[in-house]
Amino acid sequence: MRAIGLHKVVSTANGELEILKGIDLEIKASESVALVGPSGSGKTTLLSLLAGLDTASKGKIYLGSNELTAMNEELRAIVRGRVVGFVFQSFQLLGSLSALENVMLPLELKNSPEAKLVALQLMDKVGLTHRCAHYPNKLSGGEQQRVAIARAFASAPKVLFADEPTGNLDTATGRVIIDLLFELNREFGTTLILVTHDKKLAQRCDREINIDSGELIEMET
Amino acid sequence: MHFKLALKLFLRDLKGGELTILIGALVIAVSTVTTISLFVDRLEQALFRESATFIAADAAIYAPNPIDEAWIKKANSLGLDDAKTISFLSMVFSSRSQLVSVKAVGADYPLRGQLSVTATPFESGSPVGKGPKKGEVWVESRLISALDILRGDSVEIGLASFEVAQILSSEPDRAVGFESAAGPRVMMNISDVASTGVVKPGSRVTYRYLVSGDGNALEEFERWVRPKLAQSERWISIEDGAEGVGYALKRAESFLLLGALLGVVLAGLSIALAAQRYALRHFDHVAILKTLGTTVRGIDSIFMIIIFALCLIGGFLGVLVGFLAQATIAGILDPLMPVELPAPSFHGIVLGLVTGFICLFSFAFPPLLKLRAIEPVRVFRRDFSGTTVSGLLTYAFSGFGILGLMYWYSENIELTLFLFSGAIIASMVLFFVAYLLLQSGQLMGMGAGSAWRLALSGIQRRGRNISLQILVFGLAIMLLLILFLVRTALISEWQASLPKDAPNHFVLNVAQIDVDPMNNLFEENNVRAEPLFSMTRGRVIAINGEPIVVKDRLGVEESAKSKRGARGPRFSSNRNLTWAQYLPNGNRVIDGLWWDLNYSGPPLVSIENSMAERGGVKVGDTLDFKIQDQIFSAQVASIRSVAWDSMQPNFYFIFSPGTIGQFSSTYMTSFFLEKKNKSFLNTLLRYYPTITLIEIDAVIEQITSIIKKVTLAIELVLILILVSGAFVLLASIQASMDERFRQSAILRALGASQRLILFSLFIEFAFMGVLAGIVATLGAEITVFFLESQVFELDYSPHLVLWVLGPLSGLFIIGCLGLWATRKVVVTAPSNALRQ
Ligand SMILES: Nc1ncnc2c1ncn2[C@@H]1O[C@H](COP(=O)(O)OP(=O)(O)O)[C@@H](O)[C@H]1O
Ligand SMILES: [Mg+2]
Repeated sequence: MRAIGLHKVVSTANGELEILKGIDLEIKASESVALVGPSGSGKTTLLSLLAGLDTASKGKIYLGSNELTAMNEELRAIVRGRVVGFVFQSFQLLGSLSALENVMLPLELKNSPEAKLVALQLMDKVGLTHRCAHYPNKLSGGEQQRVAIARAFASAPKVLFADEPTGNLDTATGRVIIDLLFELNREFGTTLILVTHDKKLAQRCDREINIDSGELIEMET
Repeated sequence: MHFKLALKLFLRDLKGGELTILIGALVIAVSTVTTISLFVDRLEQALFRESATFIAADAAIYAPNPIDEAWIKKANSLGLDDAKTISFLSMVFSSRSQLVSVKAVGADYPLRGQLSVTATPFESGSPVGKGPKKGEVWVESRLISALDILRGDSVEIGLASFEVAQILSSEPDRAVGFESAAGPRVMMNISDVASTGVVKPGSRVTYRYLVSGDGNALEEFERWVRPKLAQSERWISIEDGAEGVGYALKRAESFLLLGALLGVVLAGLSIALAAQRYALRHFDHVAILKTLGTTVRGIDSIFMIIIFALCLIGGFLGVLVGFLAQATIAGILDPLMPVELPAPSFHGIVLGLVTGFICLFSFAFPPLLKLRAIEPVRVFRRDFSGTTVSGLLTYAFSGFGILGLMYWYSENIELTLFLFSGAIIASMVLFFVAYLLLQSGQLMGMGAGSAWRLALSGIQRRGRNISLQILVFGLAIMLLLILFLVRTALISEWQASLPKDAPNHFVLNVAQIDVDPMNNLFEENNVRAEPLFSMTRGRVIAINGEPIVVKDRLGVEESAKSKRGARGPRFSSNRNLTWAQYLPNGNRVIDGLWWDLNYSGPPLVSIENSMAERGGVKVGDTLDFKIQDQIFSAQVASIRSVAWDSMQPNFYFIFSPGTIGQFSSTYMTSFFLEKKNKSFLNTLLRYYPTITLIEIDAVIEQITSIIKKVTLAIELVLILILVSGAFVLLASIQASMDERFRQSAILRALGASQRLILFSLFIEFAFMGVLAGIVATLGAEITVFFLESQVFELDYSPHLVLWVLGPLSGLFIIGCLGLWATRKVVVTAPSNALRQ
């Protein structure tokens, strides 16, 4: 995955705001990268651009050999469905689907006949077999995030984006979630791009990328 | 196509109550339209049949010569039933003699309605299937007294002699064609006409050819035969038979139509609100689905499937509810109906379903359209609404939908555009007024208790949204007020036009010398009679010196083009002219002035407004009349509207006192007689055997009962619309629920008591209710003014009570409904609300 000269400018009530000011980076397959920086530095914005959830004002993004920035929303959606997975700070489960159905969702969207089977296996891996039929609002934050992780791996993505996955959780629960994330990441051989504040968590990654005020400060670990 | 996923989401939303209001609104839309159209359809058919009794057929041809055999063949080939009658004047002899109006009827007469006969004169009779047999005559009660005979005696007409077999108490088409009503009725068999030798070439005879049967065949026959009719031959349709009923029913129909229209608008509003909320609550869903790789087309297919499922459920339930409601209404009304209600037609069901679909698509589609435009970044930033669909486009969508529906119902582009543009202007004004009132409300509540401050700060913060909600509340209340006001005006107008002691007998052909003695006779017997009007035949031949021929040609051409025009009064026909000192009851001067009490200047004339319009006559024009071979001029002093449904002597032309006194004339009047005093007719006829007496008490009774039923139908429709109105309010409150939930959860988490929150909620809703009430009252007054004066032709007067009632009812209805709908807000644990 490669980004070249990435800019993001939004217009606000007080004129134009440049959130990203020319970002260049390269991430190899199966690498795990921590994106670190103070709040408001543009981490989430960068993540959403890399994942094809938003469009850049300037610059190019390549996912493998495909140029993401040259695609329209329709094509980006297809790419997201095939090769990208997400874990969010605020879980983002569909409230109207049960835990199991949430995990089945990415597979069902691809009309996979094994949706239920795969989903059940993943629910077992995250240790929530007994909560399959429960709806998200009946689950604790840690449980919801485990369902979200199961969902993220359901489509066996090549790249997984995680935006402060422990940000809404207590330290103990956060540790469990992170263990789970790295475990599955290893098992699936996924490229991981993780946004975090947690220094210890960042050190568990292969590489750390620092961002401040929309600019990269790269340091090797 | 993500069929399974869509279905799953749909079922889950259904179970979770997300779709309850939306489906409810849809069911209401479909069922309102289904109920009203099914019912109106049945009512129309029933009333058509009832009205048909006034001409004893579904349609007829009246001609001075025998009916062309080719016409009869055509009618028979179309499968129509037919019957012939011949009417003429003749003398009848026993020991005395009397001029009578003879009607000879065939075995099939009457095609609609019934003859009834009695054994004792002036008693109400019992129905019989067929008219007189060959060799016998049936006579009216008053001929029995005029000739001083008994049933079973024999009488002579022309060369033939007949047995008086029955006393005729009523015949269905007695009141049509006054020209043949110049004496008591004698009815005989049509095969006896020749033997009397009375009907010779040149004698004044009316041949009637009655037809009845299937509506399409009837229309085809009318289309075929109309162009073949000569000047002297008339096509009579049921509207010609029952003018009073016609007027009342046209208005009732307009009302029901208006009701259906408003019902659909209300239901549309609640569908739009519910769909808006549904869409809002699915913004996150769509963002997540997009994040997971669903394409825009995939999102479209999911929500199309959901809409389709909604249509199926809403349509099915709506038709079911509509059919049941209609059947219930019909069940209540059926025993009151003189004729059986025909089976409901399939048409109403189709209409209801199509309405539901159009409503759903035009009102629910725009909000759902926003869903496809949701950007997936929303998963990071919730408040980022990111919709790119223009508001104008979505409003245009619903605008066209409702416009199309309105036109489809009313088939009247003028009424549609008028109502539509009126509603848009009203909405804009209402929005502005609501906004202004809101601003003033902010100043008013400052420094009050904390519940007040809480409520008002809530209102303040969501100013624009709240204005919108007040507008919706206001519109709903306004539509209900409109319907209620128009209903009240209609019903009281009907009651006023047919008071209990409305004249139910007409007397024609009163000689000049009998005028005073007859007045005395009325007085002695305590009979309340209208003043006696003189009646002189005459016609207009010139307007402002310009001969009328040209103008009338135009009139004829115009009437050939529009069917409706053909039924209107012809300007230059021979008419009954009269004079009067006072403006007759039920008349209203709409232009010019009625003459002074002691006016004795040059001749003036007052003209009825539809006639004035037809002739293009204005106040101040001079009209030349031809009366008894003399030309006579008069200036138009005033133009009057006439209550044609008032069952009183009504005239197109009324002259100032003394002006047409030089012409010989007869007099007419009308009076009221209770059923138990009907023997007074015997006395009257014994004194004045030459007068023509027309009894319309049965007709009036019939009209009164029809109007009672229609009134009931209107009440039922009103209830139906009220339910739709309540639904709009609920949907609108529901739309603001999510925010209230979150807000109250935070407040309660911070330690606010339930009572405080409830009280502040009540204040908020009550405040909005009062504003909505004021706004609604204003809108209703303006609209009702236009509706009453333009569509229903009623007299408008402002409704002062409304200005108290409107805001007060707004306060209570919105306050209580709002509190009820949001009661959960304080019962649910704050943690639950915050977690969602
Ligand atoms: N669409 C937008 N409109 C306005 N400001 C935005 C928008 N997106 C992001 N920002 C601003 O850009 C900055 C970076 O945001 P973000 O990427 O969420 O930071 P981080 O995730 O590092 O905390 C913030 O100050 C945020 O307020
Ligand atoms: Mg962030």
